[in-house]
Amino acid sequence: MNSMSNTLWPVFLGISLLVIIAGKLHAAPTEQQWQSLNQSLVEEHILPRYRVLQLSSAKLASSTTALCRQPGQAQLEKTRQAFQQTMNAWQEVQHIQFGPIETLMRNFSMQFWPDKKNLIGKQLNRLLQQQDPNTLSTDYLYKASIGVKGLPALERLLFTSSLTELTNNSYRCQLSQAVSVYIADNSQATLDEWIHGYKDSLSSAGREESYYDSHQEAAVDMMKSMIEPVEAIRDQKILRPLGDGKIRPKRSESWRSQRSLRNIRLNIASLSHLYSGTTTSVDSLLREQGRTAQADNIITLFNRLETQLEAVPAPLITSLYQPETVSQLLQISDALQQLDHLLSAEMIAMNIQLGFNSRDGD
Amino acid sequence: MEINRRRFCQLLGSAVLLPSLTRAADQDSRPAKPLFASAAKASNGQFHLYLNGQQGEVLLDHLLPERAHHTAVHPHQPLLACIARRPGNFIDLVDYREQRLVKRIMAGRGRHFFGHGIFSDDGRWLITTENEIRSGQGRIVIRALEEGYPIIADYPSYGTGPHELVQQPASSILTVANGGILTHPDRGREKLNLDSMQPSLLRLNLLTGERLEQQQLPAHLHQLSIRHIDTNRQGATVIALQDQGDMGHNRPLVAVHQPGQPIELLRAPPAVNLAMKGYCGSARFDHSGRFAAVSAPRGDLISFWDLHENRFISSIKSRDGCGLAATSHSAEFIISAGTGHCLRHNLHRGTTERLPSVIATAWDNHLATLSF
Repeated sequence: MNSMSNTLWPVFLGISLLVIIAGKLHAAPTEQQWQSLNQSLVEEHILPRYRVLQLSSAKLASSTTALCRQPGQAQLEKTRQAFQQTMNAWQEVQHIQFGPIETLMRNFSMQFWPDKKNLIGKQLNRLLQQQDPNTLSTDYLYKASIGVKGLPALERLLFTSSLTELTNNSYRCQLSQAVSVYIADNSQATLDEWIHGYKDSLSSAGREESYYDSHQEAAVDMMKSMIEPVEAIRDQKILRPLGDGKIRPKRSESWRSQRSLRNIRLNIASLSHLYSGTTTSVDSLLREQGRTAQADNIITLFNRLETQLEAVPAPLITSLYQPETVSQLLQISDALQQLDHLLSAEMIAMNIQLGFNSRDGD
Repeated sequence: MEINRRRFCQLLGSAVLLPSLTRAADQDSRPAKPLFASAAKASNGQFHLYLNGQQGEVLLDHLLPERAHHTAVHPHQPLLACIARRPGNFIDLVDYREQRLVKRIMAGRGRHFFGHGIFSDDGRWLITTENEIRSGQGRIVIRALEEGYPIIADYPSYGTGPHELVQQPASSILTVANGGILTHPDRGREKLNLDSMQPSLLRLNLLTGERLEQQQLPAHLHQLSIRHIDTNRQGATVIALQDQGDMGHNRPLVAVHQPGQPIELLRAPPAVNLAMKGYCGSARFDHSGRFAAVSAPRGDLISFWDLHENRFISSIKSRDGCGLAATSHSAEFIISAGTGHCLRHNLHRGTTERLPSVIATAWDNHLATLSF
């Protein structure tokens, strides 16, 4: 037995050497580096965005309340403006699909989209026909279908109603108010839970009290938030309205408030910030791993996308009928696909497994 | 570099085998005990069939031509059948004792596999779900495990897109999950009939092809695809569903069927049901046939159910966890994940332990335990 073990020493030595060599060549970031990335992303990317969402949605709620109390064209414009600000904030944080925003279907409640079966229209019309005052309570909205309590429902109420429909403290105005209060509550709760709980769970990854077994595992959620939206934006926000040979502008996101293109611009800017805008960033980690050329390519592509998007004429609801716009969007779609490929390749290099069964199951 | 890396994994594998090798040299030989077989995607992107030992040792490493889905274990020969993922057309029959590919069975002309297949209880036949591409009709095909692997029966599945099939233990009854989703190899994995899909659960006489029973979900739930199932000795079937409709409705994702009864939908507590993200990946009964596990890989969780009382028991976290199998203990399951981690969860004790592993690999959707 002893002599056997002795003869095996060279084998053990060989294996140890291999471990060291493999470690050097496949230098994936360390736990410490992942922790540093996660911390930067929480403090400099996620929390600031949820703070802006909380502030803008609170303003929207008070603006809607003021509109119902003292309706007027100026106040309606102000309220619509407050909606635009809130939607800006949401579009900048829409890509974060883990943590408190998942609790109680908050993500769906904030924005149920795409609404392929016009669920929102049907449910909203039913409420507007019934005019039941009980449906105006926050309690009711908490239990109500996701179709009637989010930003798309509020968009319909604020952008397709005439001023007269919103005067005399009408049910329509009160429903707008109730929905905007619900959105503000939702935003507040999401922010609160990030600050008191989820943030700590991320920073204590690997310990008993954390949801995460390691900082690398927590980084997987961050990386998913960066990569998965790229394909979703391409498929849902760009290719779907282009239809199968027939242009369908009303499949665009937020077409009623004429901000479909703005949404995409904000999404890309926000993903670009997630990639390289924080103290420790995916970009800085890649450069530390010696993947400078790849990191440069990603930065270039983000910049190109932002320039391409600037050049598309808004609003899409009308400009989509122009062949030049379609070809511009198809180029953007190609660039997004390329971005998806570049980012996915770097995930493999950094030993990040985004999900096998969850992303491509059967 | 990839070759080095693979070689490195192999060496690491043999390193763990060393203790048993030294014992072998002492004439006190006890080979490593196999624990489970599963298809996987290796870190170099290639697809393999592995047989894992109880200590995580790699007892078989078989390179697959493409991605596979389910692996069936022969009831009394050292034989594994690894079935191509849909719309693939191969089944690799591998002898893990002799470490060799016994036969690569190819789907017939105009057919492809759906990723699932089983050995019959008596070990004489290999039974698969297949697509008759021209008509889009599902088929249940039986091949004899003898020279030439002849097809001895080819039954309709009475539905579209049959996925998993199981044999009710000690009976001649097959349970088949007709997922309801129409696909065509020319369109890859694209789902072609989501608005009109009609999934169903079929019970079929294995010997005659006679349709014993076929059940559907209520009409408004027709977009819940019946895909993964398991049947216990009493004929109860646990069903893992996949919601093909709009997300956000929090529809139930687990169901149970008793022979002769309509399908009964089960609900996890709303927060758990929601966390399952409309998608269950695998369902298995435990050794006793009373408890079942249902995996939700998109929600990173495994749910457990008491099917005597038709109620949710608990759930545990398993990131990207999908593959499930019963151990030889009652109320105990093994879980495999795309992260490469495997867990053993015991419901009675409420314990979850991580199984040893020596290879970094993404375990694919299904695993099968070996009962020796």
